[in-house]
Amino acid sequence: MASLLDQIGAVTSLNLRSIPQRGAMSVASVVAVALTIAVLLFFLALANGLRSTVEGSGSEDVAIAIREGSNAELNSVVTRDQLAILATGPNVAQRDGVPVVSGELLVIVDGVKRSSGTNANMPFRGIGPEGLALRRSVNITQGRMFSPGTNEIVVGAGLLREFSGFEFGQTIRIRGGEWQVVGVFEAPGMVFESELWADIAVTQSLFNRPNVYQTMRIQLTSPAAVQAYRTWAEGDTRLNGLEILSERDYYARQASQSTQGFMAIAWILGIMMAIGALAGALNTMYSSVAARASEIATLRIIGFSGWAAFFGTMVEALALSALGGVLGVIIAFVAFNGRTTSTLGSGFTQLVFKFDLSPSIIATAIVVAIIIGLFGGLLPGIRAARQRPQLELASG
Amino acid sequence: MTDLIRLSDVEKSYVRGKEKIVIFDKLTMRIEAGDFVAIMGPSGSGKTTLLNLLGGTDRPDKGAIEFDDKHIEKLSEGQLTAWRSVNVGFIFQFYNLMPILTAAQNVELPLLLTKLSPKKRRENVATALQIVGLEDRAKHRPREMSGGQQQRVAIARAIVSDPKLLLCDEPTGDLDRTTADEILSTLQTLNRELGKTIIMVTHDAEAAKFAKRVLHLDKGRFDERELAA
Amino acid sequence: MNDFALVSKNLWRKPVRTILLIISITIAFLILSLMLSFNSSLSNVNTLPTRMVTLSKINFTESLPIAHYDRIARTEGVRAATHMNWFGGYYQDPARGFLPVFAVDPETYFQVYAEDLGIPAAERDAFFRERTAMLVAAPVAERWGWRVGQRIPINSNIFTNGTTGSSTWEFTLVGTIPTPPGSSQSGSVLIHYDYFNETITFGRDRIGWVPFLTTSAEMNDSVANAIDQRFANSQDETSTQDEATFNESFAAQLGNIGLVITLVVSAAFIAILLIVGTTMALAVRERTREVGVMKTLGFSSGRVLRMVLAESLLLSFLGAAVGLGLAALILTVLASSGGGGGPAISFAPIVIAWAALIALALGLVTGLPPALQAYRMRIVDAFARR
Repeated sequence: MASLLDQIGAVTSLNLRSIPQRGAMSVASVVAVALTIAVLLFFLALANGLRSTVEGSGSEDVAIAIREGSNAELNSVVTRDQLAILATGPNVAQRDGVPVVSGELLVIVDGVKRSSGTNANMPFRGIGPEGLALRRSVNITQGRMFSPGTNEIVVGAGLLREFSGFEFGQTIRIRGGEWQVVGVFEAPGMVFESELWADIAVTQSLFNRPNVYQTMRIQLTSPAAVQAYRTWAEGDTRLNGLEILSERDYYARQASQSTQGFMAIAWILGIMMAIGALAGALNTMYSSVAARASEIATLRIIGFSGWAAFFGTMVEALALSALGGVLGVIIAFVAFNGRTTSTLGSGFTQLVFKFDLSPSIIATAIVVAIIIGLFGGLLPGIRAARQRPQLELASG
Repeated sequence: MTDLIRLSDVEKSYVRGKEKIVIFDKLTMRIEAGDFVAIMGPSGSGKTTLLNLLGGTDRPDKGAIEFDDKHIEKLSEGQLTAWRSVNVGFIFQFYNLMPILTAAQNVELPLLLTKLSPKKRRENVATALQIVGLEDRAKHRPREMSGGQQQRVAIARAIVSDPKLLLCDEPTGDLDRTTADEILSTLQTLNRELGKTIIMVTHDAEAAKFAKRVLHLDKGRFDERELAA
Repeated sequence: MNDFALVSKNLWRKPVRTILLIISITIAFLILSLMLSFNSSLSNVNTLPTRMVTLSKINFTESLPIAHYDRIARTEGVRAATHMNWFGGYYQDPARGFLPVFAVDPETYFQVYAEDLGIPAAERDAFFRERTAMLVAAPVAERWGWRVGQRIPINSNIFTNGTTGSSTWEFTLVGTIPTPPGSSQSGSVLIHYDYFNETITFGRDRIGWVPFLTTSAEMNDSVANAIDQRFANSQDETSTQDEATFNESFAAQLGNIGLVITLVVSAAFIAILLIVGTTMALAVRERTREVGVMKTLGFSSGRVLRMVLAESLLLSFLGAAVGLGLAALILTVLASSGGGGGPAISFAPIVIAWAALIALALGLVTGLPPALQAYRMRIVDAFARR
């Protein structure tokens, strides 16, 4: 008698070869799994792209001062006096004897989404003279940086791709004031690429927010200096009510807030669809077992074990669902991976990012497909294993 | 006696693959009302095709089939279906009961085609089950019954709408001798006491003895002497 | 027994198979109802055709001078107007205790939102009288365990309270706003604008936006034009829209929700269409012989076709009904356990119409191929195959 392994091999190959006989049903269950995986991947890749963009935006050696309790820059307030004090802290980097700090104000202006033609909120950031210096990964790729004290703006390349109204060279009217777009900057994979930048003083004046700052960014000499800087700031009563953290930590916190919703949708929809696909897989496998009742009975009479019948069914179910999983991943790659999209980020402004299928997400999706296959093969497999070796069935 | 059925110059052939198989070539015969005919013959002699033609489940290529002086070969598909439900009862070798229905529901099935009231239907079902001696199994499903019992249910189903003609295709082919004989006596009773005309195809010479006369069919032709008798 | 009994017996012939099919159909309809309900709660929360809103042309987060309010209220065709400010409220923990707190002008607010607020007159008058009073949507009060009469400390993540120098204000809870499903007040917290305006350290005498009622919906466009023209080329230009348009444009900012919903719902339905379609085809194929018997007994081809179609429609509508029921249940549970910000998602009636239409289509599409096969099946062939 052949070993159990040989038996399983023999029965499995019979099973797999019989798949085309149930062609339509097998295809249906493969497609159901594929669509489930594609929907799951859609939202996971969306959340992942959003998260990696937000997370990748902060530097470790830049500290950000923000009002305690403010979830976003928009709600924060930092006074002019506080700004001056913050610039005198320990380990603040200097350039030509000037501290590399930037007091900033973020306001919202309207842009038009290219794909839909609808209005959307654009973040318009007033930055200090050192604002560009402390964002080292930002490059001006077209035109030039705005000149301090003028009503010039530079626009992020990501914003320009998704929204219209801020094209290079254009003059824009906002609140009675005119602005000139003099440059385009790139900051690949960062939230800044979805922003408009202008001089802080001009922004304050043209948006009627005299002397209002929301955040202060401080370039420190090293990532390790953040802790000491924070301790120093906490010891100064004039800085009460401000929270100091590294820019990286700030954006990490933002990232988890903005992706929570998408992750929840991904899994709620993914699990629901997986249940639907599982029901389909179970049906297909029960039909497979029923269609091969006489074949299984014959094998059992010859002396094959119930285990062989069980594994044959199991492998068939796994093969179908794995095929569905791979198909789902292919759909995801073709349909949306790497595509640029935008949504409302924290602070009610649009954030441009790309769908990002990471290896771990793909692995997750394949595991989900295999779980569908495991459950889809389990009960029908047990039924196959219990098929009695009876002659009347074998002859039928 | 009057003729219930008359076949005149019936031709029937099938195309299987590229080959044309002629089953009947100018078959002419008649069957009187109240007769009980057993038709015997080897496989492929045309027995089942004959039953299909007589029961209106298949049509002749040429020739006429008259039932009660009515040309059924001229009926439309729909008319033929309606005619069948009134005039013919079928009994098959493998019973062909609906596994999802109880005995009584299986018998009631043809009555769904009538306008009888539910009460009248129940009465007819009860009568039919009584005739085949299964009134106590009304609520059982086919799977809970023996082969003989299932065939009785099938007979009850065939007679419940009171057709003139019963067509039986190897009705005892799947049954042991004792059970087969019981079924055959039931058919005999239906013929003798209720006047049903019965045409039964069978392989079994013992079964054929229950009929009033036996016709032998071979390659689409009846034995002329038997036919004339 | 009748044809329907026969159809339903056929459907339940293999109960496991049928239950599995119903589960997958249920899932698809559940996804459909949840997503459609979500979508319609984004834009259609108790909007009034005559209710409009004026906000800053730059963006809704920009404030307007209070003087704008009087001018808007006096515009011809405006029946009643009020103004609101976003307070940026939270309770205790900024991450978990988000509250949609609005500083409002109490009397006029109740004129403009009268239809939405089923508040007892005594509680309403208490809110009018007391400057530090607060009205809270019932689920919010329930969630945090607040009782009427309690003083509740509310923080702002925007403003500083000039009297204390902190971000905390204390308000007296004087009543709760009952929230019928679909109410636009489902998470709201209301406080007095005057009290808010006097205590904040910056942004005084500015208002967030101006909701108002027009005398009739036909007046909407001309009123909107008149208002926006009035402030054109000023420091604070305005944009005036009806409520539904405003909600829709806000929802559009999240992304192309309609497209995403269409894609997801299509994916779910294509999957079940295939599953149900192939299974129905198999189920009828398994019954080839029985179809032959039925036809032999005298059941017409049309009647056999109708019975197969009825079976697939029955299956489809069963799944749809269970899916809708489940969705309604889930949304009811969510609504009663909620209380956090944002409008609660409630079961949208439009879902029933869509579900019925899709169930009909699903039943026909999955049932028609096997039904036609049964229709065309010749008796002779039915028995020849084994």
